[in-house]
Amino acid sequence: MAERTANDAVINGAAAAPPTTGGTLLHLAGISKAFGGLSAVDGIDLDIQQGQIYSIIGPNGAGKTTAFNLITGVYKPDTGSMIFDGRSIAGLSPDRVLRRGIARTFQNIRLFNNMTVLENVLVGQHIRFPSDLFSIMLHLPNYRHAERTAIAWALELLGFFGPEMVARQNEYAANLSYAERRRVEIARALASNPKLLLLDEPTAGMNDAETADAITYIQQLRRDFHLTILLIEHKLQVTMGISDRIAVLDYGRKIAEGVPAEIQNNPQVIEAYLGRKAEV
Amino acid sequence: MLIQYRRSVDEIRQTLSTTNIAGRPLSWYLGGWRLGIFFLALALIFPWTLSDQTLVVDAISIGIYVLLALGLNIVVGYAGLLDLGYVAFFVIGAYTVAVGTSGFLQNSKGQTFTIPTASFWVLLPIAALAAGLFGVLLGAPTLRLRGDYLAIVTLGFGQIVPSIFAYVPYFFSNIGMSALPPPDVGPITFSDPLNNLPFYYLTLALVVLVILAVAALRDSSLGRAWVAIREDETAAAASGINLVRTKLLAFGLGAVTGGIGGALNAAYLKTIAPSDFNFDISITILIMIVLGGIGSIPGVILGAIVLRFIDVYLIGNVSNAVQTNPFTAHLLGGIDLNQSKYLIYGIILVLMILLRPQGLIPNTRRSRELAGIGASVEGASAVGLLAREESESVETAADDQGSTSEASSFAGAGSDAQGREG
Amino acid sequence: MLTLATLLAGGQGSNIFVQQIENGITLGAVYALVALGYTLVYGIIELINFAHGDIFMWSTVVILAVVQGFGFKSPLGGLALVGLLLLLIVIGMVVSATLNVTVEYFAYRPLRKAPRLAPLIAAIGVSFILETIAELWRGSGPVAFPTIFPTNGFYILGARVNYLDIFILVLALALMYALNVFIQQTRMGRAMRAVAQDPEAAALMGVNINRTISTTFLIGGALAGAAGVIYSMYNGQVWFFTGFELGLIAFTAAVLGGIGNTYGAVLGGFVIGLIESLAIQYIPNGTTIGDAVVFAILVLILVLRPSGLLGQQVPNKV
Repeated sequence: MAERTANDAVINGAAAAPPTTGGTLLHLAGISKAFGGLSAVDGIDLDIQQGQIYSIIGPNGAGKTTAFNLITGVYKPDTGSMIFDGRSIAGLSPDRVLRRGIARTFQNIRLFNNMTVLENVLVGQHIRFPSDLFSIMLHLPNYRHAERTAIAWALELLGFFGPEMVARQNEYAANLSYAERRRVEIARALASNPKLLLLDEPTAGMNDAETADAITYIQQLRRDFHLTILLIEHKLQVTMGISDRIAVLDYGRKIAEGVPAEIQNNPQVIEAYLGRKAEV
Repeated sequence: MLIQYRRSVDEIRQTLSTTNIAGRPLSWYLGGWRLGIFFLALALIFPWTLSDQTLVVDAISIGIYVLLALGLNIVVGYAGLLDLGYVAFFVIGAYTVAVGTSGFLQNSKGQTFTIPTASFWVLLPIAALAAGLFGVLLGAPTLRLRGDYLAIVTLGFGQIVPSIFAYVPYFFSNIGMSALPPPDVGPITFSDPLNNLPFYYLTLALVVLVILAVAALRDSSLGRAWVAIREDETAAAASGINLVRTKLLAFGLGAVTGGIGGALNAAYLKTIAPSDFNFDISITILIMIVLGGIGSIPGVILGAIVLRFIDVYLIGNVSNAVQTNPFTAHLLGGIDLNQSKYLIYGIILVLMILLRPQGLIPNTRRSRELAGIGASVEGASAVGLLAREESESVETAADDQGSTSEASSFAGAGSDAQGREG
Repeated sequence: MLTLATLLAGGQGSNIFVQQIENGITLGAVYALVALGYTLVYGIIELINFAHGDIFMWSTVVILAVVQGFGFKSPLGGLALVGLLLLLIVIGMVVSATLNVTVEYFAYRPLRKAPRLAPLIAAIGVSFILETIAELWRGSGPVAFPTIFPTNGFYILGARVNYLDIFILVLALALMYALNVFIQQTRMGRAMRAVAQDPEAAALMGVNINRTISTTFLIGGALAGAAGVIYSMYNGQVWFFTGFELGLIAFTAAVLGGIGNTYGAVLGGFVIGLIESLAIQYIPNGTTIGDAVVFAILVLILVLRPSGLLGQQVPNKV
């Protein structure tokens, strides 16, 4: 097990988070994106500090997932800048965004259904494998080492969610329950050691008990993995409970920003939500 | 009767798992690579058991097709890219060897240019690399296209590339080449027309090598990446997989294998003609894969064998039988069944894809995919229609505004960005 | 190559350039009709119906049998001509429409939920089956189609315009107009548009998806069938392999115009017709590399501007 310990330093230490706490990790300025004349996101500014749990909320259609897609490179912004960890990420493709240290989950859980739980988490570590054909085809030592480390790390990630997840490592992802699938998706996102984790409605479709559970492990994730977490959430009890800061979007614009207490009492926010059905 | 069949299959399975030899059940010996070793042993002694060498000739031809099928399997079976123009790589491999060993180019005006020659053994890797390079060149601009378009584009390349070799003046010419020098090395001579053994073992060696390489790839991080992009490109990219590069690798590796097959074919037949290279080869290999089992190594090997058998033996014999039997001759007499190769191909394709898409020897994961098992777990509407492989990515997140899906305007009415509410 | 014979069939006038324009327009009308079939089907289920060209070909084959059955060998006139044309067009449209709907029902419908590779492969298989059966029936080479349409014409701007050409153009335009009316103004047309844009929403609105798709195949087939009739008369011969060649050209036309866009298919059809007739005339050795050239055009379009001329510029998400 010496291998694993030696790797812990890489896993839990330097690669995961720089020594400083606080400081701006992600900065969006004037980000806009329109589709065929319809503006999805209009001049958004966001400033996310290291170690924060930052929530983005807003009525349906407000542009929250679009914002995620812009950050992770699925869309390219029409205007504005995005600086992550001191470097611009605008225009990068999704796989390169992951390499910079931003990982995400999806609102409609997008696991690889015909791969096992373990394989899903291994795919999340794709960037840690050697990319040259020789190593891969001949299973050279560097490749074998990467595979061993990856499997160990994958099991450790699954273990974070409990021994039951580890026990189910060889199950096809399609056979898992909804809550389990959500966990595997998060484990997959964590596999690459991101600095910033984007969670898109992680408690969607969960009942109260599962939601409470999710709240707990999200906070634990931040602690154990030294993460900064950006959250899209519809359930206000979740956002108010765990967020350090909240930004409220409506029709693609940021209409409010602040700590939960400020947001709760903000008249514009209340109006935006009263105008549509809000889930509490 | 089907039930009887099922029962006896179950009985066989039962026996296989309970009878033990040297501490392991019989079924273990019949699985995976151990079975492969068994067949390898068979293949090694096979020519010595025959008095008639024609089967060896057939075996070499089958071997070359197996090579090609394994190569296309990487592209279609692993990466899920429908390549309809695979023959292009075969052509490149063949011409590289032909030109390189014979030492001259001839254009359509009959002028010849001599170039230095090299031995087959040197040209084999060059042919492979040339084909691979071409695969990358072809793939780079086209792999961004969706599945249907990619199929058409590759079909186009499959037509264009052989045409270039055949018709472009100053390049090559419509005249084939013959009497290519054989790849003799040391005491081993390939030039004896009565002794096919050297070519047989060379083919066998190449096949084994390719099988090993492909299996290694399948079980690697690259293999997983291919599965991932087949399932869900967006999630794959979000997990750090570079889509274009991963697809290009599949395309290029498939091309390399095609080049090796072409090189071997040219050396073996000692002659090439542009008319040999056409869509027929591309589609034959595709059918071998569909019949045998998409994404399954033993499957495509079996598919190659079965299809060659059909091509070479079955059609000719059935056609004769139909003509000679008085009843059928009357019914179908006017029809020359030798023409019906494509009819059989078409029927195989349609029946297989409808009834047993995973092929004769399925690959487990592919069986699941093709049965649509994974397709409708998440985000399927109550009506569950028209599941598309690449679901309209994250735009369909109910949350969001204004994303134009790829649905084009039907009557030119303009694709309005649909704001999807809640 | 087949198309050269086709173009020469169009007649020669004194001004070659204008003549080729006229030829291009006539041929373009045929391509447009077939292209519409591709585009309609693609618009609704996002499938390239590889067998569509063969559906077209079967119309020509059956029409030939009908004409030979009647024993006509020389141009007819007056009422007999009108009656025969009507009959042939109806038969052609029915044959192709029925074939198309049948193929969809048996080969494509079961695969709606399968990975997209599957219906593509099925379409290829169907194409082979249709081609070989026609080959087994009619032989491997082109068969002459009797001249039943009067060969008179007139001259305009130095180009010869046959009455047949006029008929082709008029018929094609009439069908296109009818299609447009159908799509824009009837309930089923609306259903087709709805399913093309958002099948799930359409289903939730009560649209019968299966029936709508079948209707789309029916219409696409009928258009191809009509094209088959006029093409046989224009070309003077029928060949089992026409489906592949003409299908390819028509598909390129559909893509050029913007796949899924019916106006695009029409535009693409005429543009390709013009390009082809001019290219064959003015590019040396143009006929021998015909197929490759069309493919090259197709590849270029798909790589450079996959949305075509009238399609929406959708950014390619990798």
